[in-house]
Amino acid sequence: MQTNRCQTHEMKKIRITLILLVLSFVVSAQNNTDEKKYPLTSNTNSFNLSTLSFLDPYLSPLNYSGLGLGYSTESRRFLNEMDYKYSTLSKFRFGAGIALNPKLTSDLLYFGANYGWGIEYHLMSINGIKLQVGGLWDADFGFKNVERNINNPVNLDMATNLNLTGLASYDIILKQKTLKLKLALQTPLFGFMFVPRAGASYFEMFELGNLTDALHFSSIHNKRGIDGKLSIDVPFNHSVWSFGLKMNELRYSANDLVFNRSEFSLLVGTTFDITSFAGRKNKAPKNFISPNDY
Amino acid sequence: MKKIRLIIIFSALVLPSCMNEPAQQPNTYKGNFEALWQIINTKYCYLDYKHINWDSIHSVYSSRVDTVKSNFSFFDLMGSMLGELKDGHVNLYSDFNRSRYWKWFQDYPANFSNLLINNNRYLGTNYLMAGGFDYAKINNGTIGYIYYDDFSDAFSDTNISYIMNYFSGCKGLIIDVRNNGGGSLDYSKQLASYFFKVETVTGYMRHKTGDGHSDFSAAVEIKTPACKNIQWQRPVAVLTNRMAYSATNDFVNRMKQAPNVIIVGDRTGGGGGLPLSSELPNGWLVRFSSSPMYDSAMQNTEWGIDPDVRDSIKVADQAKGIDTIIERAIILLK
Repeated sequence: MQTNRCQTHEMKKIRITLILLVLSFVVSAQNNTDEKKYPLTSNTNSFNLSTLSFLDPYLSPLNYSGLGLGYSTESRRFLNEMDYKYSTLSKFRFGAGIALNPKLTSDLLYFGANYGWGIEYHLMSINGIKLQVGGLWDADFGFKNVERNINNPVNLDMATNLNLTGLASYDIILKQKTLKLKLALQTPLFGFMFVPRAGASYFEMFELGNLTDALHFSSIHNKRGIDGKLSIDVPFNHSVWSFGLKMNELRYSANDLVFNRSEFSLLVGTTFDITSFAGRKNKAPKNFISPNDY
Repeated sequence: MKKIRLIIIFSALVLPSCMNEPAQQPNTYKGNFEALWQIINTKYCYLDYKHINWDSIHSVYSSRVDTVKSNFSFFDLMGSMLGELKDGHVNLYSDFNRSRYWKWFQDYPANFSNLLINNNRYLGTNYLMAGGFDYAKINNGTIGYIYYDDFSDAFSDTNISYIMNYFSGCKGLIIDVRNNGGGSLDYSKQLASYFFKVETVTGYMRHKTGDGHSDFSAAVEIKTPACKNIQWQRPVAVLTNRMAYSATNDFVNRMKQAPNVIIVGDRTGGGGGLPLSSELPNGWLVRFSSSPMYDSAMQNTEWGIDPDVRDSIKVADQAKGIDTIIERAIILLK
């Protein structure tokens, strides 16, 4: 009887251990499935100082060159928290500058803005270089003013394009920190652009409504450009600073006019990651505090 | 392989196409002369209309460029070449001078005197001023008189409303645009709109589309709207002389189509071509007529618009302080 009792006691122990093991697996599995992922949006805000060059034969047959200042913001985010292959990209930039003709007898004032949104596919990394390629739709608006001109003092750069984009990034691992080197490239593929006829005044176009031959389909046959940015992200204690060089070269042609816009910039900015919580289904975890809750 | 071949062929055809910037002339006297000649040759809109042989002008002036010794003499030479166009809308601007062609009014009687319109018979000294208009009641308060000397001077509906209320007891209205050298086509349209009952096609415009002297776009209608809130429906006389030019020429052309309006005075100076501008390698600016404007019968307005009633200021009247053209308008409005 003693032996039987001992055996029964041992059996109970084994049973309890098994139950505990199973339970711990279940709990652990539940913990894994409950661990919600929060896709972060990587933002880079930067300011740039640029050298500018314009050829706008609607305004003048001469090249204008000068300096400009600009601000740009760029956000990247995975499309889906379960899928690390596709990310969205949005860009906005604004710039202003002043350029002079070669004999310094006339100046050109420039304001430009561009918004773009696209999706990139994350390719496999090769030798530590991560590659992304994708497409970006953008809307471009530029305002050029040569004040001394008569009846043609302004020309508007208005265009919308589908662009091919690419990004290569490489982590440079140092003792204390990891730097991120990035090369981003963008080139227009096709779209539409506003280019007036050389002899058409804005009075005729916008007052009399004659916009004949002002809207053009664009593709590589009449619009080519490259927008390249080489930057390095340097982490400090509480911030990541981004330093870079940017080159934007755009050439397009319509109505027998050839336009050129060149920009070479020095960039400085900051990079940070953010996420947002809002609504019933997207509440912040309890270890996040918000003034709305207190 | 086929696909790759196609891509290579497509790229070879498309990429090098038509995207080269035009060659620029060097900044020498010869280079600047060639640049100016070429701008006019390809962009000026009246070479055929005025029967100007621009090639022969090249021959004549090209040989003279070699003798130029200074920027001043070069400027004078280029100014003379542009003078061959006989166009008040053609100018060359440098840092030290502006070339111009003024024979469109200098070769004709003035038919206007500030002294005359400012004597007590007309504006006097206590006239009213609003939005670029000087105005007063004349002829014992029976006629409203407005003098407008610059179509660059802005005005509003409110200005016009006050003026028309002030003239509400008058039988007719005189709008004097003599010696008004032009300005904004928008103001020309706005001012004319107070005298139209319905929107009316009052002219046409075209522009250069190619390098050929007669390469023009299709004509587009220039419409004069009828202002909804303010309307003057009594008789109107518009006074003109040779110095009524450019936007004033356009205003007179519009008013010719308005009901109850009569044009009195001399033929206008013209300036029917909307000017654009370009630059030379030395940084000088050139202004030139680019878009010809036409009246409602598709006739060019470059050489001016004839009045309905032609008259001129008589020397004897002027000596007595009488403006013959205003007096003629008063009689017509009665």
